[in-house]
Amino acid sequence: MTYILEAKDLRKQYPDKLALQGLNLQIEAGEVFCLLGQNGAGKSTTINLFLGFVQPTSGAAYINGLEVAKNPLEIKRHLAYIPENVMLYPHLTGLENLGLFSQLAGFAYAESELRDYLEQAGLPPEAVQRRVGTYSKGMRQKVGIAIAVAKHAKVLLLDEPTSGLDPKASNEFSELLGKLSGQGTAVFMATHDLFRAREVGTRVGIMREGELVDVRPTSFLNANELEQLYLHYTH
Amino acid sequence: MIQSIAQKEFVSTLRDRRFVVLSVLVLGLLLAATLVGRASYSTLQQERTLAQQTVNDQFHHQPNRHPHRVAHYGSFAFRPKSALSLLDSGLDSFTGASVFLEAHQQNSVNFSQAQQSGSLIRFGELTVAFVLQLLVPLLIVFLCFSAFTEERETGTLKLLLSQGVSLRQVAWGKIAGYGWAVALVVAPALALAAWLLFGQEEVAGNPDLWARLCLFVLSYAVYYFLWIVGSVVVSAWQDHARTALVTLLGCWMLGTIILPKATANVGAHLYPTITKAQMDAEVHEQAQKGINGHDPQDQRTAALKEDLLMQYGVTSEKDLPVSVPGLVMAESEAYTSKVYQQHFTDLTRTYERQNALSTLAGLLNPYQAIRPLSMSLAGSDFAHYVHFQQAAEAYRYQLVQRLNTLQAGMGYGDKERKLDAATWQAIPTFAYQAPPLRWALGYLLVPALALLLWAVGLSWLGLKVIDNTRVA
Repeated sequence: MTYILEAKDLRKQYPDKLALQGLNLQIEAGEVFCLLGQNGAGKSTTINLFLGFVQPTSGAAYINGLEVAKNPLEIKRHLAYIPENVMLYPHLTGLENLGLFSQLAGFAYAESELRDYLEQAGLPPEAVQRRVGTYSKGMRQKVGIAIAVAKHAKVLLLDEPTSGLDPKASNEFSELLGKLSGQGTAVFMATHDLFRAREVGTRVGIMREGELVDVRPTSFLNANELEQLYLHYTH
Repeated sequence: MIQSIAQKEFVSTLRDRRFVVLSVLVLGLLLAATLVGRASYSTLQQERTLAQQTVNDQFHHQPNRHPHRVAHYGSFAFRPKSALSLLDSGLDSFTGASVFLEAHQQNSVNFSQAQQSGSLIRFGELTVAFVLQLLVPLLIVFLCFSAFTEERETGTLKLLLSQGVSLRQVAWGKIAGYGWAVALVVAPALALAAWLLFGQEEVAGNPDLWARLCLFVLSYAVYYFLWIVGSVVVSAWQDHARTALVTLLGCWMLGTIILPKATANVGAHLYPTITKAQMDAEVHEQAQKGINGHDPQDQRTAALKEDLLMQYGVTSEKDLPVSVPGLVMAESEAYTSKVYQQHFTDLTRTYERQNALSTLAGLLNPYQAIRPLSMSLAGSDFAHYVHFQQAAEAYRYQLVQRLNTLQAGMGYGDKERKLDAATWQAIPTFAYQAPPLRWALGYLLVPALALLLWAVGLSWLGLKVIDNTRVA
């Protein structure tokens, strides 16, 4: 079976630190996998390995059956990425930023379509024509979400995507993820937000010192159990 | 993809107030330098044309005179300003503008602007070339130093690359975008220069000038390409914007100030030149070995006279159909001219060796490639100056020998007689024809090749650095 996202014995050794040790993971289409762990646990390294921004020391990462290290450009057609702190081009408007990133991904949207994506992501209509330099962190995050959604990717790689979003916007984002997963998009989300992980995730994994120490389906966990599990591994 | 990124860089740059302020300053300086250059060119050209007309007129309107008196009365050759010197005045300010042409004597070209100006001219003039060669690269450094570092520091690089763009595409997009921004600053000044230049009737239909201007623009386009590529590559290579800026400013100082001075000093040390006084003394000393036209007691003069008497089969100078002093003058002129030419060629060769060292340094430093290229295309380099000197000397020699021939034809006792004033009107005056671009191509070859090698080499090396740029 071809998984949308797969890691086989994926390992990353930095000169001073073992960032990831032998990660084995398979994620299917429509699944939302939430990766939990403290800062420095290896969550961002895992995402960077899937993005091809970091080369693995051994093992391999696959997106839609393609080995990331061997197909660094091809795999990016299948994925969208939202970082923890979306930084855009401050001299361009929200609309121009979305237009640019969509063009680079191969989509030439009309202005009305771009507006729709931004509004779907929760950006106020009056803000779309303003330069991003005047945006709050939350507003930039929403443009980042719009960029990811407009790409219609098979995989969403999210690194603390709700960071900076207000509760309402976080809630809307959860709904959006639910909708995308319903359409068959696989989501891999690194987060500290246990509540959001349990709410939107189909599985959660807990990472400690570069090792994936536990993976569980969220359907068998309530919020309290997840918190206990997290604290168990991280303290 | 490259075009989208280029457009983003261009729009972002135009909306960046820091760039707008800097580029308005540079554009203002460029426009001011163009207008000042044009005004200076017009004034000097008018002055020189008028002066040349005046001396030509004076020469033609001499009264009845002995030809040798006319040879000593002499004339002047004024060097016309090259039309493109309004963009790059090159050595014009330091080389002379006029030379006195007379018998027996090869005078140097005098009355340079530097001779007639205060010491401030030593600090350099505000010319278009100064702004194009030194200030625009500085603008490029400030524009591009954070091209990659900022994207990496803010994280936009990861977002950009996650869209399926390669690092090379990002780099080329940035280079193109910055290129458009630089063109926006430089183009108005060059357009103004072209308009001012080709608005004049005498140069409007001059294809040679058009070709020179096109090559001038092309050369600077390559020069800026180098600075932009270099800045983007340094930005990709360094981890922090501040380090990239310091590195680039260091390169700018090394390339535009330190290396040119060092090369000039090494050149002067390796190929020392003699002073004007030394050269004059040596020419004078060697000229003494030849026939002396003004010394009737000279033994070589006596020998020449004997030969003439034998040649014409007469026993007395009085019976000769030619004037012996006239022929002696011609012999003397030929000899001293040969001696002078030898010394002049040696001196020119020394200067050329010094210049060649500097031009070869263009292989190490693009600034030292664009400088001779720019001067040569503008017709204000050393080679064009020497061309004028040689043309003036050729005319002087031809004029003096023509007058000597006239004297020789006057027969015995010529000193007591004069030739009619109409004789001088038949003698052509000095009319300098600047060399065409074809002539200058040999001087353009090395610096042009150096710039192209830099462009290819830096692009190749740059792509290697870009490929290994750290993203996360």
